[in-house]
Amino acid sequence: MRPLTRRIVLLAAAGLALGLAGDDAGADGTPVIAAAADLQFALAEVAAAFMAETGQEVRLTFGSSGNLYRQIREGAPFELYLSADEQFVLDLAKDGLAVDEGALYAVGRLALFVPHGSPLEADGTLAGLKAALAEGHITRFAIANPEHAPYGRRAEEVLRHQGLWEDLAPKLVLGENVSQAAHFAAAGDAQGGIIAYSLALAPDIAALGESALIPEAWHAPLRQRMALLRGHGRIAAMFFDFMQTKPARTIMRRYGFVLPGEAM
Amino acid sequence: MDWQALWLSVRLGLFTVVILVPIAVALSRWIAITPKRGRGLVEAAVTLPLVLPPTVVGFYLLVSLGAGSWIGETWRALFGGGLAFSFEGLLVASVIVNLPFAVQPSQRAFEAIAPELREAAASCGMSWWRAFARIELPLAWPGILTGAVLTFAHTLGEFGVVLMVGGNIPGETRTIAIAIYDRVQAFDDGAAARMSAILLTISLLTIAVTFALSRRIGRRS
Amino acid sequence: MTEDRVKGLSVALRQPGPIPLDVAFAVAPGELLALIGPSGSGKTTTLRAIAGHYRPVEGRISSGDTVWFDSMNHVNVPARRRRIGMVFQSYVLFPHLTAAGNVMAAMEDVPARQRRGEASALLARVHLAGLDDVRPAQLSGGQQQRVAVARALARRPDVLLLDEPFSAVDRPTRARLYVELAELRQTLSMPIILVTHDLDEAARLADTAAILSRGRIVASGPIEAVLPRTDLGDALDRDARSVLIHARVAAHDPSSGITTLAHPSGTFFHPLLDAAIGADVRLRIRARDVAIAVGDPGRLSIRNRLAATVTGIVEADPPMVEVHLDAAGDLLMASITTEAARALALHPGLPVTALIKSAAFDRVSLGPAEATDVRSVQR
Repeated sequence: MRPLTRRIVLLAAAGLALGLAGDDAGADGTPVIAAAADLQFALAEVAAAFMAETGQEVRLTFGSSGNLYRQIREGAPFELYLSADEQFVLDLAKDGLAVDEGALYAVGRLALFVPHGSPLEADGTLAGLKAALAEGHITRFAIANPEHAPYGRRAEEVLRHQGLWEDLAPKLVLGENVSQAAHFAAAGDAQGGIIAYSLALAPDIAALGESALIPEAWHAPLRQRMALLRGHGRIAAMFFDFMQTKPARTIMRRYGFVLPGEAM
Repeated sequence: MDWQALWLSVRLGLFTVVILVPIAVALSRWIAITPKRGRGLVEAAVTLPLVLPPTVVGFYLLVSLGAGSWIGETWRALFGGGLAFSFEGLLVASVIVNLPFAVQPSQRAFEAIAPELREAAASCGMSWWRAFARIELPLAWPGILTGAVLTFAHTLGEFGVVLMVGGNIPGETRTIAIAIYDRVQAFDDGAAARMSAILLTISLLTIAVTFALSRRIGRRS
Repeated sequence: MTEDRVKGLSVALRQPGPIPLDVAFAVAPGELLALIGPSGSGKTTTLRAIAGHYRPVEGRISSGDTVWFDSMNHVNVPARRRRIGMVFQSYVLFPHLTAAGNVMAAMEDVPARQRRGEASALLARVHLAGLDDVRPAQLSGGQQQRVAVARALARRPDVLLLDEPFSAVDRPTRARLYVELAELRQTLSMPIILVTHDLDEAARLADTAAILSRGRIVASGPIEAVLPRTDLGDALDRDARSVLIHARVAAHDPSSGITTLAHPSGTFFHPLLDAAIGADVRLRIRARDVAIAVGDPGRLSIRNRLAATVTGIVEADPPMVEVHLDAAGDLLMASITTEAARALALHPGLPVTALIKSAAFDRVSLGPAEATDVRSVQR
């Protein structure tokens, strides 16, 4: 091989080795926390508080609880999992993928969200929705995908409970997680949607429309459980503990979550 | 503006190119010099990722690389972490998905080399490697480079496969395309817009470069 | 250039298809064999088989003691390891390399330091001095052909193969290239094979010829013998019927621009030749340029007159016939109308005078002594 060719090959090989090794070194240490999409804003605030208190960073990734559950089964390198449906956590614990059954960290609520300019009213009893549907004012309505998003499943329960499911089903826009559903609901193309109360309270979303709580008796409770995952590190364990401290609970309460041990 | 995501995407693009281009050169040359009958299957296999929906590709990759697969388990045994939901897993997916982008322009460049040129090189006494390095490569490089540029640009934008195989792990698998999606979901349109503008610029640059290179290919044949 | 061992080429090929072939021939060192035939006759396939670019079904090809192909013993040396120099019909120069670069591409076994110098020397030898750093795209057709020849020679080949190397250039250039190749080959001692469909070319350059028709050799031997063959039907173009005659340079007259050539049957007057007195000249005389006179021709503008005897009359494409003449042992052919033959009462044994217009000579080659036509030097 000509000397120049040889030099290039060696340089490339060195670069490749360095690069591949390099990125691993940087990623170590900061744990990745997988959280249900309804925690989009709340958890970001908690993480900031955690950083202020301990000086430690965490990396957050949000998605539907079902999706994250699947990723964990596939070997995703998360260290802490905050689910919106405790059954997922219990399943992981049974198979040893979570170190134990963790802890209940919140109970979630559903809210009807209507964007500005929608013919719908923000009526938590959904009477307005029923009327609008009958009059043909509804073309699109957003919920999270009931297949794998707990908030979507509960939304379906609510709609069935009120006898609205059959008529509304063809007009549903399914969000891949409840955060995306909130997006669809707030964007204006849909006349409204049923989303997480915590998202409806978030300033960015609240500014885009109006919301109303939906009676919790109409659906199974949104028992949100979290657990440390197999192979987790020290910082993740610290965060797990932090979630249960007063500053964290205060933030959660502000986002409409009911905390374990407290009534609404 | 998620600089970490942009840097991750750039790294993914560069590594994909570095790994894929030699493979693509070897493969495309073989296809170019093999008579039509013998190469149909290989050509179809190379084109497949182009036609398959990204989610289908992602699904099959997840099944083959994830926990429970023998590739995934072997990787875990050798290196500790899993292959799915890691940068290396993305790299594997990226190399497979970009195969047609890297191979096809390169293949056209090799096909444009008249068979007699190879015969003339042989009659000059050149060994196979010499003829390849001193005659074929200098004539085919615009095509090979086009393949590399397209691969890089396509990797930057790849979404479906990355999401399925890599998830959305900051610093590990949150590429800039995923980051844009992530910011939109978080109602942070500003960040999403800035990152989209960067990707748009890169795409335009890619088009400009490939056009310029195509003219060079045209001039040579 | 030193050639240590001079090797002869031996070829035998047989296959039923896709291109039918059944040929066997040998080419001695220094000999130029022309493979002549129409397209599809298998001549290019034969050449490519010798080069190693085509693998025939059956046969044997060897250069000296080295066997390149032997179907019975499963020997098939790859093209790159056969010491051949090949000039392709379309030259196939490497477009991204300069003229010198192209020539050096064939110098794998020359030490790197010497390559540049030898390439320049070769290019000078083919009259391309100074064009070392020019790319093929900027060279004329004739110049490209010369680069191709130089590249083939750079390989120090045991066999030189030329595949219709003049077909891509125009007539004036071709004439010039013929002269150059004829000179060049005086300095070469390897067997040379020239594939062509043009009898002109073969007549000018070849020592021996083999006529191919549908894959078979229908005639072979010295070019003088093959060229006038009457029995080759489609294989040889009727219009190009000609003979080759040897004459000696007798005298030069610069004032009138004429060289006198002596032949036992008469004298030829030829435009001034730069050749020594006594040098052997080979002339090609076409049948259609020969007229016949019975009795004293009287005052005619045609000055070349040879004493000959009619040996036979052969049917040609009507209304022509071909009259065969014996001029002091050499064969001459005249193409005249049947009417004329009848009017002159031509018959075998009749003494006649053969008349050949001076300008009708194709001065083909000048034998072993170096000689040039003064006019070609000026061009």
